[in-house]
Formats: sequence, structure tokens, C-alpha cells
Amino acid sequence: MDSLVANNIRQRPLRALVSIAGVALGVCLVMLFTGLSRGMSNDLQRRSSSVLAEIYFTRPGGMELTTSTANLSVKYAEELSKIEGVQSAVPVIRYIFQGGRGFGFEQVQGVDWEPYAAMNDLKLVAGRAPAAADEIIIDEAKARNGNLSVGSTLALFGGKPYRITGIYSPEAEARVKMSLAAMQDALEAPGKCSYILVKTKDGVDPLAVVRRIEAQPSTQGNKIQLTRDIITNIEKTIPYLGVFLRALVGLSAVVSGLVVMLAMYTTITERTREIGMLKALGASRGYIVSVIEREAFVISLLGLVAGFVVSFVAGFLINRAYGLLFEYGWRWALVAALIGVGGGVLGALYPAVRAANLDPVNALAHE
Amino acid sequence: MKTILQAENVEKVYRVGSMDVAALRGVSLDLEEGEFLAIMGPSGCGKSTLLHLLGGLLTPSSGRIVIDGEDLTAASDAKRTDIRRRKIGFVFQRFNLFPTLTAEGNLRLAERIHAGGANGGEDSGERRREVLSLLKLEDKMHHKPLELSGGEQQRVALARAIVNRPAIILADEPTGNLDSENSAIVLNMFQEMNYRFNQTIIMITHNPEAAAMCRRIVQMRDGQIVAPNTGLQV
Repeated sequence: MDSLVANNIRQRPLRALVSIAGVALGVCLVMLFTGLSRGMSNDLQRRSSSVLAEIYFTRPGGMELTTSTANLSVKYAEELSKIEGVQSAVPVIRYIFQGGRGFGFEQVQGVDWEPYAAMNDLKLVAGRAPAAADEIIIDEAKARNGNLSVGSTLALFGGKPYRITGIYSPEAEARVKMSLAAMQDALEAPGKCSYILVKTKDGVDPLAVVRRIEAQPSTQGNKIQLTRDIITNIEKTIPYLGVFLRALVGLSAVVSGLVVMLAMYTTITERTREIGMLKALGASRGYIVSVIEREAFVISLLGLVAGFVVSFVAGFLINRAYGLLFEYGWRWALVAALIGVGGGVLGALYPAVRAANLDPVNALAHE
Repeated sequence: MKTILQAENVEKVYRVGSMDVAALRGVSLDLEEGEFLAIMGPSGCGKSTLLHLLGGLLTPSSGRIVIDGEDLTAASDAKRTDIRRRKIGFVFQRFNLFPTLTAEGNLRLAERIHAGGANGGEDSGERRREVLSLLKLEDKMHHKPLELSGGEQQRVALARAIVNRPAIILADEPTGNLDSENSAIVLNMFQEMNYRFNQTIIMITHNPEAAAMCRRIVQMRDGQIVAPNTGLQV
């Protein structure tokens, strides 16, 4: 192709590559962070939505997104079971710790498997329920991603080995579960739990049951939440996630714009005489701006493609290595595309206008 | 004969620090269509400044320049650029070809700019081939400037200047970087363009032999034309 734009890019491959990498970096930042945020949020939401119990009964502050404590007495389960409209109440301990590979958080739950599985319609697809203090069961995703099976061991609580006795499906809440007694023992919290799941009888309005629980003197001072509210609040419970993502998007636009601007600025300094030649040929300011902008556009477009490819590959590799989930959405992909191309084109505008305003005689005399 | 260029009492003053330096002091020049004019004179006498003014690359401090009926001095910067695009072709001492483009690519770019950014039109390919053939560059059209000799590069520059059939070609010492053999070839090409297409050419040169090939020679000194018509006819 005998085009000035294409030949100029080919003439300086290293600079073109650096510019493309700069744009790709901006695109990657947006894609990976929003993909991770969306992936983790959707994953939590999916697992929470498998819980068929309609009500969470807990102590205030006993259960947050990234922390939980076992400060609720399991005796409340008995009280709750007696309330009209309640089918069953199952105490659960949720323990959250830093991921084994230093990334994110992992959860372990302590539950009595039979009532918990019956309440939420879960089934063991392999093995049996945990019974001893060092036995656990895991969900299918955990088994698949960690290449684990019945009989394998998993280190929890600072390296203590736990034997996998079963694999369950579908995924619900924490991927690793042990018996409630084993968890109480591990946390040295006998008779305690983090929350109690309450399942209402068929045809009973959960809100009516909530009101009845609130009216009971013996359950006063505790927190009662509907499961559906917890699911919709997952994104909102991560403080300033939206602000962080928007700041990230702005930062990415600045990175892309600055890299392209610097590259184009250097380019026009090097090509001053060529710009003088264009002027001598009668090229208008608009034409000169368009030549430089087209070059920036091509670089940005290549950076955009590279950014998307790297994001998908990096997301796949991180998922394989650390189990973190990435889910890319069209909306954020569009934002990344606008940032990559828009940042590049805007960044090139100043050098382009500067080139267009060069004095032709001085430009022609440039060495 | 149609007058293609008129320069009336053109002056150019450069500001150097707090000093005003007069590069041209009232230059007047008329040129008819088809003329081949040489401008001679010692270095610093204002030849290049005059050529840049005639090509609309500079604006005069006073005076008037009319190219093919269009007043350059009354025109805005954009209008001057437009007149340059339509009516003027430049040939420089240093060839000034785009190094990343082939010989043909350089001509295509000139056509594209002449066409206002669009492709040169249906007959542009034929015209390009005709010009390249005339300048004996058919086998060099896919070569980049660095793959060509100095003489070939200057022939490409001449082809680029002429491909859009401008009203005037302004050549600033076109043989200044060439050996005598290539100089002769390039000058012959200029002459052939002048004869074959009745192309108006103004050429700055230090070389009396090059000037002798022109139909008219003007001499400049200290920013003025001191011998307006040497009247040499070839």
C-alpha cells in the first residue's frame, strides 16, 4: 500500500509498537478490572441465588461481604422453627480468609449438610457428607478448577489438611463446606453460628414471617434480611466500586491519550521537513491534521485490538492460575473502545494542529 | 501571450531580534505563459525569498503578487495554500521527496493533494505514466527515494511538480546537489517540459550554464533586480 499513513507507521515500527502498547494498556486496565468486578459480583450473585431460604437471621455486623463472625447462638434456630409459617431454620458459620495464592478471598461454611441440602435442594454428586472434624465437601466448580476429587486434601485454617469426602451441586454460597460442629471446633466457638437460614412454608409470604420474627421478644436485637435484598445489594456492598471503576476509566483514557500524544509529538518533530513538503505541495491545514489523525487512529485501532486480545488471554490465564472469574460486558467493552480510540485521536490533536501551523519555509529548512 | 505572473514592487523585511533586515527591496517582475526564467545572483541576495514569495510560502511586507489572475498578497493563508495547490509546482535543491513513499507514491500524493484529498481522477494514472515516461522513470516508479540516484530523485521531484500541470514551476537550485552529468539531464528535462507543455518555469541557479538554457535571465543583488532581462534566447 503506497499510503503516507501506513508507510509512516511501518517506517518506525518500534515507536508504533510502543504507542500500540500504550493504548492496549489503557484498554486492558478497563477490561480486566471491570471484567473481574463483574465476574466476581456475578459469581457471588449466582451462588447466593441458589439459596432457597427466604430469610437471613443474624446479629448486626455479624455478616458482611468480606468478613463474618460466629457470634449468634444456634439456639435461635429452635426458636425460629417454632414461628408460624417457618418450615425450617438452619444455622450456618461462614468463615472468610485470604485466598491461598494471595488473591481475593475464599469462604468456608460450617453447616449440617442434610437439613442445609434439603432446604436449598442441593445434592451430592460424588462421595458423602462430611462427618469427622477434618472432612469437607466442595462444589463442582471448585473440583473442576482445582482439579480436586473425593479423597483429595485441601489446606484450610493456616495449612491444616482437610480431606474431601464429597462433591455437591449446584453451587451455593461458599464452595467449601464442613460440618457445623467441625467449624465451631476450628473457630473455638461452641454453640455459635454466623447466621441462620430460614425457609418459609409453601404459599407463606416471607414478609409476614419477618414481621412475626420481629414481634418475638426472644429474637429482638438481631438483624433480619430477605435473601432477595442481599442478592441485589452485592454490588452496593462493595464500597465505592463504581467510583473506583470510573476513576480507572478516566486514568486509562489519560494513559492512552498521553502515549499517543507523545508518540505523535516526536513524530512531527522528526517529520518537520516532510510537513513543510506537504505545505509546499499545497496541502491544507485540514489535510495535514487528517494525515496525523489518521495515523493516530490506525495506531489506536491496533492498540484496541491488542488490548482486547491481551485482556481475554490474561483473564483466561488468571482464571486458570488463581480461579478469579472474569466476565466481560458489551457496555464496558464499548467504553474501552471509546477510550482507546478517543484517547488516541484526542492525544494526537495537539501535535496535529501544531504541525498544521508550522511555518512552511522554516519547516523546509529543518534538518 | 498571457501574463501568468506579476510581481509589483515587492518588499520583504525580516525582523531579527530588534533589527529589521530587508531581504527584498521593491522587486517587480512580469512573466508570460511558457517562459523559462533563470534568476541569478550571489548568495543572500534574496533569490530564495523571492521564490518563496512567488509560491505563497511567505507573505510580502508590501507590494503585490498576482499568479494567473489571482492575487496572492490579498489572499488569506488558506487561500494562498489553495492557490499554491492549484497553480504552483515546487522543485527543491534537496529534492524533498517523501522517503517512505515510492516514486509513484510521491506522484500520487501530489495528485491527491491537488484533488483536495480525493483520488486524482480517472485520467491521473495515464498522466502519471506519461510524465514518468517522459522523464525516463518508468522502471523506477516502485523505488523509494533512497534507492534512486540524485539525478533520478530530482527527476521524480520534477515529475511530481509537473504531474498536476501547474501554471508555474518554481525551482530552487534544482541542480545544486547534482554532478554535471545529472545536472545536464535534469536541465534537459526542464527544457523539454518547457517546450513540450509550454510550461512556465522560474529557476534559481548559480550555474551560468544552467541559466544559459533559459529563455530569460534576471540578475539580483542586495534584494533588487539589477538586470531585469538579459534577453538570452535559446
